[in-house]
Amino acid sequence: MTIFLASVGFGLLTAAVLAIAAVGFTLQFAVTNVLNLAFAAIMTAGAFTAYGINQLGVSVWVGLPVAMVACAALSVALNLLVYAPFQRRGSAPITIVIVSLGMALIIEFGTQAVVGGISVSYKMSQGHTYKLGGLVLTTVQLAIIAISVVVMVAAYLTLRYTKLGKSMRATSANRQLARNCGIRTGRVITTTWALTGALGGLAGTVYAIDIGSFGPTSTDLFVVLILAAVFLGGPGHAYGAMLGALLIGVATEVSAAYIVPSYKYVIAFVVLLAMLAVRPTGLLGART
Amino acid sequence: MTYLITLLVYAAVDAIACLGLSLQFGVAGVTNFGFIIFQAAGAYIAAILALPPQSANGAFQHYIGGWNLPFPLPWLGAAAAGAILALPFTFLVGRRLRGDFAAVGLLVTAVLLNLLVMNYVPLFNGDAGVAIVPAPLQSQVMTTTTTGYQWGFAIGVVVLLAAVFWLVRRLTESPFGRSLRAMRDNDKIADSLGKNLLQLRTGMLVLGGAIAGLSGGVLVSFISVWSPAAWTYAETIVLFAAVIIGGRGNHVGAVLGAIIVPVGFEESTRLITNANPSLPPNLLPSLQWVAIGLLIALFLWFRPQGVLPERKRVMAVPEPAAGAAADGPLLVRQRTPPSGSPAERDTILQAIDVSRDFGGVRAVSGVSLSVARGTMTGLIGPNGAGKSTLLAVLAGTDRASSGTVRYEGQDVTGLPAYRRARLGLVRTFQLASEFKRLTVMENLLSAAPGNRGDTMRGALAGRRYWRNDEQATVGRAADILHRFGLADLANSYAGDLSGGQRRLVEIMRALMTDPAMLLLDEPMAGVHPELAHRIGEMLTQLSRDGLTVLMVEHELAIMDEFCDPVIVMADGSVLAQGTMAQLRERAEVVEAYLVG
Repeated sequence: MTIFLASVGFGLLTAAVLAIAAVGFTLQFAVTNVLNLAFAAIMTAGAFTAYGINQLGVSVWVGLPVAMVACAALSVALNLLVYAPFQRRGSAPITIVIVSLGMALIIEFGTQAVVGGISVSYKMSQGHTYKLGGLVLTTVQLAIIAISVVVMVAAYLTLRYTKLGKSMRATSANRQLARNCGIRTGRVITTTWALTGALGGLAGTVYAIDIGSFGPTSTDLFVVLILAAVFLGGPGHAYGAMLGALLIGVATEVSAAYIVPSYKYVIAFVVLLAMLAVRPTGLLGART
Repeated sequence: MTYLITLLVYAAVDAIACLGLSLQFGVAGVTNFGFIIFQAAGAYIAAILALPPQSANGAFQHYIGGWNLPFPLPWLGAAAAGAILALPFTFLVGRRLRGDFAAVGLLVTAVLLNLLVMNYVPLFNGDAGVAIVPAPLQSQVMTTTTTGYQWGFAIGVVVLLAAVFWLVRRLTESPFGRSLRAMRDNDKIADSLGKNLLQLRTGMLVLGGAIAGLSGGVLVSFISVWSPAAWTYAETIVLFAAVIIGGRGNHVGAVLGAIIVPVGFEESTRLITNANPSLPPNLLPSLQWVAIGLLIALFLWFRPQGVLPERKRVMAVPEPAAGAAADGPLLVRQRTPPSGSPAERDTILQAIDVSRDFGGVRAVSGVSLSVARGTMTGLIGPNGAGKSTLLAVLAGTDRASSGTVRYEGQDVTGLPAYRRARLGLVRTFQLASEFKRLTVMENLLSAAPGNRGDTMRGALAGRRYWRNDEQATVGRAADILHRFGLADLANSYAGDLSGGQRRLVEIMRALMTDPAMLLLDEPMAGVHPELAHRIGEMLTQLSRDGLTVLMVEHELAIMDEFCDPVIVMADGSVLAQGTMAQLRERAEVVEAYLVG
C-alpha cells in the first residue's frame, strides 16, 4: 500500500509536468495546424536556458521565467521563419511534419553541440519532505504540482472567458471562417506560438527539475508520454490533454512501481497505439 | 584498400535501405517514421540465425536463437523478419487514420522498441548488443580478413543492390506503380476510383520492411556487431534526408542520396575528427545532426523534388483509328440490370432514410430518393443544404449515420468507396482532385480497372504479362482524350493544367472506370461556359448509351438544359423533385433557393 501511494504521488508529479507539455502541444496543434514534433526539443532548449542562468549562481526559479520567454521567442521564430512559409506555400501536412523533425534535430543537437553530451543538474535545494497520508513529496515537487494546477486553471479561464481564448478556439475550429468574422487570425496564431512556446519552456524546466539529471536528448522518451496524453484526450483538445496527462502520468508511475521502471513507458505507448487504431479523435473528441 | 571496400559496402547497404524507403515514401507516399526498426529487425535476426548458441564463446553475451545457420539463410531470414514486423502496423495505414498521425505512431514505436531492446538483455543482449556475428561463409573460407574475401563481399552486396534496384523499378514502372503514385498524390481520390488503400499500403509496408531488413542483415554480417545505438529513431531521419535530397520517387536519386547523406556525412565527420583530434568528442556528431536537419528543411523549401526529380512518364497517344465512329459508345462494359420487379429494374440507386451527423449538426436528415436508370438527375439546393455530404454518403467516401443505400438492388451501405467504385458507382469531387504528379494520360490510365499489371504480382511478372492490357487501356484513354479535345495535353502534368481542364480530366478519369453511374459534384464549377456546355452534351450522350448521372450543380441554366428530373434539397432534406419547369411553379422551392 505504501508503494502504491508513493507511486501515486510520483504519478501526480509526472502528470503535473506532463499536463503543461501536453496542453502546450495540443493547443499548438489545434490553433496552428502544425503537428510540431520539435516541441520536445523546445522543452530541452528551455531546460538548458534555465541551466545557463542557474550556472551564473542565480536560482532556477529565476531561470524558469527566462526560459519561458526564450522558448516563446524561439517558438515564434520557428513559425515565422519555417512553418508559416511552408503553410503559405500550401505544403502537405506531412511535409511540415518532416520539416518539424528536422527542426527537432537542429534544436536538440544544436543544444548538445553547445553544452556537450553529458548530463547536468540544477543547483537547488529540494526543501522539506512532506508526508501527506502516504504520499511523500518534497517542497519542490509540491511547487511543480502547484504551478501545473495554476497553468491548467489559467488555460481554462483563458479559453473560456477571454477574447484571446475565444479567438483561439474559433481559429482552431475554422481558420477561414474566423478570419471572415473579423478575428485577426495571424495575430492569434503568433500569440499561440508564443504562449505554447512558453509552456514548452516551463514544461522543459520543471521536467529537468523533476528528473534531477538531464541531457540534451532527455526529452526523447518524454515525447511518448506527451503524445499518449494528447491522443488519449483527442488531438487539439486542451481539456482532453489535461485528462490524458493525469491518466498517463499516474498510470506510468504506478506501473513503474510494480514492473521494471525502465518499462514504464510501455503503458503510454500501448495507450497511444490503441487510440490511433481505435479512436484517433480521442476520448473527448468528436466521433467522425 | 580496406577503407575503400568498407566505404563501398556501407554505400551499398545504405542504398538498399534508401531504395526501400524510396518505394514506400517516394512512390507510394507511405511515411514510415519507424523505418529503421525494420532494418534493426533484419540485423538482429540475421545475427541470431548466424551465431552459435549463446553458451558459445564463454557465454559472454545473451540472445535468443543461435542457430548457426549457413549463408545465405541469415540474409533471407533478415528480409523475412522485416516483412513480418510490418504486419502489426497495417492497422495504422488504413483509410481512417491521417498519414501524419500514422507517421507519429511509427516514430513513437521506433523510440520505444529501441528502449525495450536496450533494457531487455535476454533478447538481443540489451544495451551492449550482439557481437562477433559470423560473416557469410566464414567457416568455409577460414579467414575473412583477406582482401580477396572483402572484395568478394563488396561485389556481392553491389550485386544485391542491383537486384533490389531492378525489383523496385519493375514495380514502379508498371500499372501497379501508377496506382501507388496516384495514392501518394491523393489517397481519398484513389479510394473513390476503386484502389484498395489498405492493401496497397500494407504491401508497401511489408515490401519496404523486407528491403530494410535485408539491408540490416547484410550490414550486421559485415560489421559483425549490432546494438541499440546503431538504430536510434534519428537514423530514420537520415534515410529520409537521403531520399528527399536524392529525389523523391526517383530510385537513382535514392541511391545518390544514400551516397551523399549517410555515407558522405559519416566519412566527412570522421575525416575532420582525425584531422583535429583536439575537438570536443561530441561536437562534430552533434553538428552532423544539425546539418541533416538543416538540409531537410532547405531542400524541402528550395528544391522539394530533390537533385534528381521524379521522371515524367511520356507516352505516345494513339490517333483514333481512321473511319472509326467518333461518336460510338464510350462505355465498354454492358451491364445487365438485376432481375426483379419493373420498379427495381428501373431504379439504379436508392437512398432510404439516410442521415449524416457531424457532432451535433445534422448535415443530411432522413433523405429518401431514387435515381432512375439512364437519367441525368440534377441535385440543387442552397449552400449548406447537404448536397455534397449526401453525394459522399452515396459514394461511400463518407458513411451514413443511419439509413440505407441500395445500388443495383444491393445494400451497399457498409461498403467502402473503392468497393462501390468497382461495382460501377463512381464519384467526382468539388475541389480539384487530379493526381498532380501524374500526367493527364496517367490520370486516366490510373482509373482503368482490371489491368493485369495493377497488382504487385502482376507487376512483378513483368511488362510482357500486362502489355496487352496496357495497350487496350491506352487506346481507350486516347479515345476519350480525343473526344474531349485534350489529346494535346496528354503528357502534361495534371497539376499544371487550368481549372477547367482539371475538371475535364476528372470526368474523363471517372469515365475510365467504366462506370454504370456517375455522381458528379459541381462538374461545371469554374469552367468556361462554352466548355461547360460541351461537358453537358458529352454527358447527355453518355446517358443515352446507358450511363446514369446524378449531378450537383449551382448553374440553373445547366439544369434546365440537361437534367431531368431535378431534386431540390434544403436543410439536409429533400424538398421537391420534378422537372425544372415544375419546380419553378412551387413556391417553397423558389423560397428555399432564393431566400435560404
